[in-house]
Amino acid sequence: MNAGTLVVTGAVLGLGAGIAGVALPHRSRVTGAAVLLWGACALEGVAAVHVLATGHAVVLHSSTILPLTGVEVMLSPLGAFFVLLVALVAVPATLHGIGYARHGLASRTAACVFPIFVTSLLLVPTAGSVATFMVLWELMALTSLLLVLVGHGRRAEARSAASWYAVLTQGGAALILIAWLVLAAHSGGQSFAAMGHHARHLAPAVRGLVFVLALIGFGSKAGVVPFHVWLPKAHPEAPSPVSALMSGAMVALGVYGIVLVGDALLGGGPVWWWLAVLALGAVSALFGSLHAASSTDVKRLLAYSTTDNVGLALLALGASGLFAATRHPVLASLGLVATLVLMLNHAAVKGALFLAAGSVQMATGSSDLDRLGGLLRRMPQTGALFLVAAAAITGLPPLNGFIGEWLLFQSLLHGAATGNTATDVAVPLAVAALALTAGLTVVAFVKAVGIGFLGRPRSQGADEAVEVPVTMRLAVGLLVAVCVVFGVVPALELPAVERAVRTAVPGVGSALLAHGVDVQLVGLRGVLAPTELAGAMAVAVVGVMVLRRSLSRRPTARVVDAWGCGRQLQTARMQYTATSFAEPVQRVFDDVLRPVQDLDVTHVAESRYVIEAVTFHNAVDDAIERGLYRPVVRVVRRCGQAARALQPGSVHRYLGYGLGALVIVLAALAMIG
Amino acid sequence: MSASTYASALGLEAAAVLLCAVVTLWRRSLGAIVRALAIQGLALACVAMVIGLHQRDPGLVVVGLLVLAAKAAVVPMLITRVVRGDPGSRETQPLVNVPASLVAAGALTFLAFAATRSVTALVPTTAGRLIPLGLACMLVGFFALVTRRKAVSQIVGILLVDNGVALVAFLATAGVPLLVELGASLDVLLAVIVLRVLATHLRSRLGPFDLDQLTELHD
Amino acid sequence: MVGAGISSAVQVAVVAVGGPVLLGVMRKVRCRLEGRVGAPVLQPLVDIRKLFRKERLRPDQATWIFALAPVVLVSTVAVAAAVTPLVTTHPAFGAGSDLFVLVYLLLVGSTILALAGMDAGTAFGGMGSSRAVTIGALAEPALLVSILALSATAHSSNLAAIVRATLAGPGSVATPQRLFALGSLLIVIVAESGRLPVDNPATHLELTMVHEAMVLEYAGPDLAVVTVGEAMRLTLLLGIFVNLVAPWGVATTTHAADIAVGVASLAAKVALLGVALSVFEVSTAKVRLFRIPELLAGAFVLALLGVVSGLVVK
Repeated sequence: MNAGTLVVTGAVLGLGAGIAGVALPHRSRVTGAAVLLWGACALEGVAAVHVLATGHAVVLHSSTILPLTGVEVMLSPLGAFFVLLVALVAVPATLHGIGYARHGLASRTAACVFPIFVTSLLLVPTAGSVATFMVLWELMALTSLLLVLVGHGRRAEARSAASWYAVLTQGGAALILIAWLVLAAHSGGQSFAAMGHHARHLAPAVRGLVFVLALIGFGSKAGVVPFHVWLPKAHPEAPSPVSALMSGAMVALGVYGIVLVGDALLGGGPVWWWLAVLALGAVSALFGSLHAASSTDVKRLLAYSTTDNVGLALLALGASGLFAATRHPVLASLGLVATLVLMLNHAAVKGALFLAAGSVQMATGSSDLDRLGGLLRRMPQTGALFLVAAAAITGLPPLNGFIGEWLLFQSLLHGAATGNTATDVAVPLAVAALALTAGLTVVAFVKAVGIGFLGRPRSQGADEAVEVPVTMRLAVGLLVAVCVVFGVVPALELPAVERAVRTAVPGVGSALLAHGVDVQLVGLRGVLAPTELAGAMAVAVVGVMVLRRSLSRRPTARVVDAWGCGRQLQTARMQYTATSFAEPVQRVFDDVLRPVQDLDVTHVAESRYVIEAVTFHNAVDDAIERGLYRPVVRVVRRCGQAARALQPGSVHRYLGYGLGALVIVLAALAMIG
Repeated sequence: MSASTYASALGLEAAAVLLCAVVTLWRRSLGAIVRALAIQGLALACVAMVIGLHQRDPGLVVVGLLVLAAKAAVVPMLITRVVRGDPGSRETQPLVNVPASLVAAGALTFLAFAATRSVTALVPTTAGRLIPLGLACMLVGFFALVTRRKAVSQIVGILLVDNGVALVAFLATAGVPLLVELGASLDVLLAVIVLRVLATHLRSRLGPFDLDQLTELHD
Repeated sequence: MVGAGISSAVQVAVVAVGGPVLLGVMRKVRCRLEGRVGAPVLQPLVDIRKLFRKERLRPDQATWIFALAPVVLVSTVAVAAAVTPLVTTHPAFGAGSDLFVLVYLLLVGSTILALAGMDAGTAFGGMGSSRAVTIGALAEPALLVSILALSATAHSSNLAAIVRATLAGPGSVATPQRLFALGSLLIVIVAESGRLPVDNPATHLELTMVHEAMVLEYAGPDLAVVTVGEAMRLTLLLGIFVNLVAPWGVATTTHAADIAVGVASLAAKVALLGVALSVFEVSTAKVRLFRIPELLAGAFVLALLGVVSGLVVK
């Protein structure tokens, strides 16, 4: 069975899973579809591994499936890497969905659409022509839109989130299509191979136009500022397995699109492209981490954290392109490796976090941090897994997030001495952005874990929470295990990443990382020994625990009331809330966040001097939505209302419009002809 | 003087000039700001004297001593008199808050570095490569001029711009003729004396004020 | 390899024992300057022994994080002490002793301590954690950019490589790039180890506590471990700083005589820096909590100036 057959069979199985979701009875609907979907993921994964192992792309052509344009499949190593990334998130998400079935994923629509969504995610990196790509891309967008509405479709917030998502995703798709069309028109063919071949002979203006359009289009799907506004709206509304896939896999495909157009097809470009990518990445990282630190809803926090991580990946990508444009191929290769590793880590970690947040929401009925608390004692495994995943996303060693950040820092560090003005200015500013982002991410996730899982429960729902079913815990556990394994032994993932970079981007330096348990940069001075580090940390922890036990008089601790500086009574209301935890950060960045504060004082009816109640309301809304999108929406609404003058309801007026249009067209024909 | 000692001494002094400029944005107490200005004058004088010693140009050493007298002693003393009349005055609420203005100073330094790439190619000596530091000092002084409220802080801003220009002049041309330096110093001295008289006069009429309130004087 | 392993163990032991002694020296100097006699220099060690003899307590709402946090704090600092070139430039796993790795190892300890502060469910714990992670977040840019500036000369962020490069060319310390970066690093070290003017380690007032509020619920052996951890962290950071400024005396081989000289020189240099820090603390007041961002922004700009100087002063 060659890889091509595997890809096609996988696609068929995925569609079969969708049909099973519609056809099967209620009880076995989700499980049946899930099993078929796992089969599809497995087949696609095997095909991807085969492509990565051999390094040769797989090309298939068929003109019967899609009339007029035909279907072309081209699975290059770069695409294969992203297929594996999607499969990595999809399998646990489907497993989690089985347990989540009571919350909307058991309906016929959801059970049918979810497998199709996953299949389209798996197939987008295999697309080899414009038509195939756009069909799969739109399928992915449409199915995810339906899934956002599933479950809470009646609520106004869900509908609003869906309309924002629809507008931004369609706008992005339109720009991507225009970019493809421009490129295809100048290359005389719509297959990626042909476009890649002819791209070098295009005029710089055309290449620049294509890149900018692709950057904005794919950037809006990836959640890059300022096109990210749909992310924090759509993620809290969608069911958790869907959010995990959207944040982990779909966003990675946005980055895949930028790498595909920028590096694989256009073959790199001038410095200003990559400075733009760097700038967008830095702004996204800072904006995302700042808003994550100020969010009080867990899923909104995770959504903003996605923007933050995509910003970091774009920082790596921009640095890579910058080094390629200034002729430092080894550094460019390192930067691209960092991009792919960051996206892979993000997929695993964000998938785990969203699935765990879904478990929490199912157990407590809320995802608002100010209603949670004390969950580590009531949901021990989910809490512990969330803690490990949060540690991974903040980049703490010895987990996988640290490897990505180290690679990014090394590529920036070694690029600081290249002697080119653009890199000399960009690199320190990129390092500063990376550092502040890392710090704010720590604030955000210490808040999420500390307020959500530690301390006393702040509501009845949190107090009565029980541990979720085994399937859901297992799903989260799988992804967290991946995080730990890739953190301790990154040599498992790095050869695949290297192969993807080397064969997809010709001309970039090869054999970057030496093989072995350590991570070593070839040609540059930089070594990381993650396995030894993890081993040393484990030994040290055990050693100190033994030492403490042997030096203390009694090994077990006595349980007492918390001291709290002598306060006798400790209630849940006395603890810090999510807002108060983030207040110092909010105060420092007050000019950027501009929280909306409202103070309402009601007086007793009889006398104005006696106050009855005081209400204080503090909210941080998205600065870009407030500053950029709301004015645009207002202008559009005003234009729409002005245009109502064109529709007074008179039949004569409407017929008159028709006659007028006909007369104008005939007059134009007369003048031209 | 050996080449490497010359290079490191010059580098340290030019960096000290820029550091003092940044410190005026950092500190709030007007006394500390004026002290930073005095140290900057000292560093600037050292730059002139080191270049003069390296090129065995006694005129430049004399210019350095003149700069020492004027910028490190006389001008700070004049401004201290103004500050002393208003004890405990601090720059409490600048138009741009302190962390943001510090980050802006960092960004302006990078801008100066990027913008003077072609200029440093024209003057490829050790001294010429340090010109971005002078331009950065000018930009920081201009920024202080724009965003600070107290009259004294704005005077300090003007002086920072002047010091930056002097540093660029010393580094680029390896010294200016004595007469030119005398003339420039005299101009600045005059400006400071006028500003001091004005500030004292306004304060005796209106009491302690910040410059934004001057808009209330027009009708 | 055996030599490297033993020298790493020696480093950990020096930091573990020398940490509380350094605290004692700093307190003694401070007391003398304030006109008091002060406790003996070895008092912190006596205090730690006393704490180990007391009962272990646990708040009723606390989870396993409460018990694990002090252990993780000490173990990460111990691992960091084992891999950084304090006494010798060839510690075990020295190839992986990146400055970046070091920063993140110390971050592990800070983060889990912040979580432990929230574990007891009191208002003070949340307050301490919130303030501590904010200060940590604002110190990160200064820290990483100063690492960038320091790594530029050795073309590597590997700490052993930087120390070896400084040993080979002592004049490289007097460049504006190094001086700015070291100045920035010193401010960040003061902020991260919770010393004046950022945080007062001797206060328990609600208005002024940052680190003390996080560890308010710890008692007995747990408090002893936390105290040792904090002392080790301070010693490690000061040790790295002195080796970046004046690495003379650091052993370049793993012979016993060289290591002994390295231990003695490290102890002397760190003690000197500790005394200087104490004198500075006596003469300064604690900065208001909302003025700390100004201090850290200044450190950040110093680091940026260091990078620009590195590009300009060749």
